[in-house]
Amino acid sequence: MTLKKYQRIRLAFTAIIAVIFSYSIIMENFFIPIVTLLVSTLILWYLRKKVSGVIADERDWQAGGKSALMTIQIYSWIAVMAMFLMYSFRDINLYYESVAITLAFSTCILMLLYSLIFKYYNKIKLTDKKTLYFVITTIILVIMFLLTLRIFSGEDNWVCSDGQWIKHGQPDYPAPQIECQ
Amino acid sequence: MKNKIKEIRNKHGLTQEELANRVGVRRETIIFLEQGKYNPSLKLAMDIAKEFKIKVDDLFFY
Repeated sequence: MTLKKYQRIRLAFTAIIAVIFSYSIIMENFFIPIVTLLVSTLILWYLRKKVSGVIADERDWQAGGKSALMTIQIYSWIAVMAMFLMYSFRDINLYYESVAITLAFSTCILMLLYSLIFKYYNKIKLTDKKTLYFVITTIILVIMFLLTLRIFSGEDNWVCSDGQWIKHGQPDYPAPQIECQ
Repeated sequence: MKNKIKEIRNKHGLTQEELANRVGVRRETIIFLEQGKYNPSLKLAMDIAKEFKIKVDDLFFY
């Protein structure tokens, strides 16, 4: 497979993922985008191996490193400013607080992850296949663990409060018919 | 840092694409190198010099 063909396929996959993500957010279904992302990653990983030419070289890696650092810095600044803004307006809309907390945590995780990778990048060879498989397997296991927790947590149900059944989360069944006491 | 890559490549009758494939980089990297917009790693510099069978000193200079 030629490099141009691979790049076209990758672009098409990106567009498809974006459409599926948007649709899934509207439909409040989060399993489809996760599955799509995993399947697309695997397909692209397989196709990448079939490309005969050089996909990326040292100039790309150099530019990639600088771009990644710049992206993290820009995102962190925007996220922190947005977080303070959202948090200060939490009285106007309750959802603003959740958004602010999400932004704060995502920034912290991003910076922590970057620091960890930067510290251990030269010590652990990420290009080594065994290490790479270990990292990928760990990420998949963590995702599966979190999904399992979310599915079996029992958080999506009906709660009895002041004689009324109130939705807790997104239960996929109607409110109980028995009297709420 | 300046270089004589274009001059020596033409002497050897190689295209940018061919040289890129031989040293394992993209064609764009060769273009940037020839225009003096990119300083290569020591490995790439040595690979190119080896391809032309000359010393690195004869290829790159200040």
